[in-house]
Amino acid sequence: MPSYKLTYFNGRGRAEVSRLIFAVAGEKFEDVRYEMDQWPAHKAEMPLGQIPVLEVDGVKLPQSAAIARFLAKQFHLAGKDNFEQAKVDAVVDTIDDSFKGFVPTRFEKDEAKKEELTKKYFGEELPKHLQNLETLGKLYGNGGHFFVGNQLTWADLLFYTFAQAWIGVEADCLNNFSWLKKNRAEVEKQPKIAEYLKNRPQTQF
Amino acid sequence: MSTYKLYYFNTRGRAEIARLIFIAADQKFEDIRYEHSEWSSHKNEMPLEQMPVLEVDGVKLPQSGAIARFLAKQFHLAGKDNFEQAKVDAVVDTIADAMTQFLPIRFENDETKQIEMVKNFFANELPKHLQNLEVLAKQFGNGGLFFIGNNLTWADLLFYEVTETLLGLNKNALDNHQWLKQNRAEVEKQPRIAEYLKNRPKSQF
Repeated sequence: MPSYKLTYFNGRGRAEVSRLIFAVAGEKFEDVRYEMDQWPAHKAEMPLGQIPVLEVDGVKLPQSAAIARFLAKQFHLAGKDNFEQAKVDAVVDTIDDSFKGFVPTRFEKDEAKKEELTKKYFGEELPKHLQNLETLGKLYGNGGHFFVGNQLTWADLLFYTFAQAWIGVEADCLNNFSWLKKNRAEVEKQPKIAEYLKNRPQTQF
Repeated sequence: MSTYKLYYFNTRGRAEIARLIFIAADQKFEDIRYEHSEWSSHKNEMPLEQMPVLEVDGVKLPQSGAIARFLAKQFHLAGKDNFEQAKVDAVVDTIADAMTQFLPIRFENDETKQIEMVKNFFANELPKHLQNLEVLAKQFGNGGLFFIGNNLTWADLLFYEVTETLLGLNKNALDNHQWLKQNRAEVEKQPRIAEYLKNRPKSQF
């Protein structure tokens, strides 16, 4: 039985999908969280000077998507065969495409520019990606509420956590996307996830 | 025995990694290339109106990363177990991080600006990504010339492919990275790849 240690900031960010995977699978892991001022002292311990990092029996693995996909495959949340896993990966890549434009809007220091970037992102860019995600959900979802094959996979968990970040800025961003809203509702009511969401630390990001 | 159709533009771009995987694995596929003028009439045949798309026994899969990982797993070029596949994914993600910074340069229309961006990329951006890749190779490569586990995987093929583009712009880009140069040389001399490289159409991207 491998031992797992996940190291990240004290926030959801790029580690939360992995924490959700552990929660759904009912698997134990050490949830190491660094505050911003603690991180510099540990940076050199990480292969690429970045987090999240997953340590599996003492071997460190960087890169949030590689980590999440590994855990999903370990715990049967990645798709039931190679082609189904590919559909899950395609949804994940499309979610990543959606999120790319969001990050600069958060880190922009000039207030006026930040407001403009944010408006453009939510008004023009994000809706295109959300449309694409609904297309894939309808194409691969076998008529159900999950993205692929009528079962929960890490694609649903990743969408859940990234969409939370969007909703935090623009509460109505999913209003024109009822399939995606239903998908998130379906994720939230999975018993292990509902329990996890109730008890997890509330953090700024 | 599945049938494979790969749809893309008549260039290397985001499809070449898939082509290299087919070649390395000695597997047949229909290599469909659309000129830009043809593309608009085929756009709505693709799930996300984008390419590349892989069609497997008639079912379409978008997203170049998902396509390449699927094919690599089909043809045993993805890593021998789940954790090894995760190491391969981590290297792939690190290569992708470098190319994400490169992409705005590729599409910059102002030539003067583009030259400046290229200079800045090679001087200030690329070195840290190359450093990261060497770190991962030392950690995961078992002392050999491939990124993971002393065997060719799609991580090596992807590195080869993106550096083809980078070296085309700056032939000295890898001068301070002996291991990475040797890795490329090792990929180039695989018999089926050597044959393919000799005969494929030349393209800048």
